[in-house]
Amino acid sequence: MRELLAVDNVTAGYGAAVVLEDVTLSLAEGDSLALLGRNGVGKTTLLVTLMGLTRLHRGSLQFAGANLAALSTYARARAGIGWVPQERYMWPSLTIEEHLTSVARPGRWTLAKIYEIFPRLEERRGNFGNQLSGGEQQMLAIARALVVNPRLLLLDEPMEGLAPIIVQDLMKVIRGLVAEGGMAMVIVEQHAKLALSLTRNAIVLDRGRIVHRSPSEALLEDPQTLHRLVAVA
Amino acid sequence: MIANVIGVLFDGVAYGSLLFIIAVGLAVTLGLMNFVNLAHGVFAMVGGYVCVVLMTRAGVPFLATLPVAFVAAAIVGLVLERTLYQHLYRASPLDQVLFTIGVVYMSIAGATYVFGSSQQPVFLPSYLRGQVHVLGVDLGVYRLFLVAVVALLTYALHLLLERTRFGSQVRASVDNPVAAAGLGINVNRVFALTFALGSGLAGLGGGLGIDVLGLDPTFPLKYMVYFLLVVAVGGSGTIKGPLVAAVILGVFDVSGKYFVPQIGGFVIYALMVLLLIVFPAGLYGRRT
Repeated sequence: MRELLAVDNVTAGYGAAVVLEDVTLSLAEGDSLALLGRNGVGKTTLLVTLMGLTRLHRGSLQFAGANLAALSTYARARAGIGWVPQERYMWPSLTIEEHLTSVARPGRWTLAKIYEIFPRLEERRGNFGNQLSGGEQQMLAIARALVVNPRLLLLDEPMEGLAPIIVQDLMKVIRGLVAEGGMAMVIVEQHAKLALSLTRNAIVLDRGRIVHRSPSEALLEDPQTLHRLVAVA
Repeated sequence: MIANVIGVLFDGVAYGSLLFIIAVGLAVTLGLMNFVNLAHGVFAMVGGYVCVVLMTRAGVPFLATLPVAFVAAAIVGLVLERTLYQHLYRASPLDQVLFTIGVVYMSIAGATYVFGSSQQPVFLPSYLRGQVHVLGVDLGVYRLFLVAVVALLTYALHLLLERTRFGSQVRASVDNPVAAAGLGINVNRVFALTFALGSGLAGLGGGLGIDVLGLDPTFPLKYMVYFLLVVAVGGSGTIKGPLVAAVILGVFDVSGKYFVPQIGGFVIYALMVLLLIVFPAGLYGRRT
């Protein structure tokens, strides 16, 4: 598979504060990666660094052969990176449908296809962003990133705070996205086993550095290592 | 007596309509972009002088000067936003106030230097002068024209902000600019265009308002508080709020000055205090 994302010796953080140190990873077209680690180790910082929302102190970021670091945040999204932020960031003055149409770009992810996989959003298309349940917000956050028609989808804690039944539904959707293979994906998730079950490869961060890399399946089958790395049995 | 009251009320509505069309841009920059732009009246003054210059020096008919006033003020707004204002978006409100007050005084000095300190004339076409008799009440034709134009503009603005992709992008950029940029919206461009639109509307209002508000170099300072009142009372970040506030304030200001002229501006400021106590976030706060 052709390389899509290359993160090379990246040191980044907020202002002068360094959070990530010498992070190197790569991702091929259509590939999937779980980004694991305890709280505060830099998982979200890595995603927002890809979105250009941190200060890049050192290293390089390449996306589809282009220098990602030279692009502003909106240009990175237009270049093909879909972002599902941890905070979901709903827009209170926009309806569900406006959330989608305001950012939609040409591609296979159309409004009709979104409503096909998230029928609940179609039912509530006229509701505003501040009138949605946590599960609906998460569905909308994912849907909104999909209509950008990205080549790489960044999912930051997509299951956080959701009821088990909603988690099941979202797992099904994300599994379907991975299976389609047309889009690469990076998932940050506290529920390590969920993330590992969805992805092909895994990386574990600790204090801003990568401390483990392996196929997701191998880590899933090694509970001792998984427990040691992310304190999950 | 009743006809008199209706006439005054109508004048108040026309006056409020003018305040609205000038101040609606301030509602956008203050409420949506969180920028305290006390120099908003400068754009109205630019529009007014453009109209005057075109009418008096080039013989352009009044109505034909209005689109030019809109475009000229929008361009001035866009240039100022790109070169100066955008550097202060993250500055403290005090810095923004000081900066924009500086712009106001610079514009007053500049306009005085170029046009002198006297009031400027406006030459309304004959069909916009005089009065019409409606249901026993004499109504000024120009004021009827003002109300109609503002009603049309308000509807167009509503459609733009509520029914178009650009409008959705404006609202998304205001609700959460980080998320908007992260989803591919060029927030800087959206804000620049929005600023230009607000400036253009102020310029149009400045041209339309020469006959009612007058035009001299102190215009931005004289009406600054009125524009701020419209936004503070109406609630920033909406169209409906400033519209309702402008009409209420226009009616009370005109009525106060007509029926109890000896207390001057007391009525409108007392009303402002009352409304802000009862509606601290304005008549229509923004959705959060």
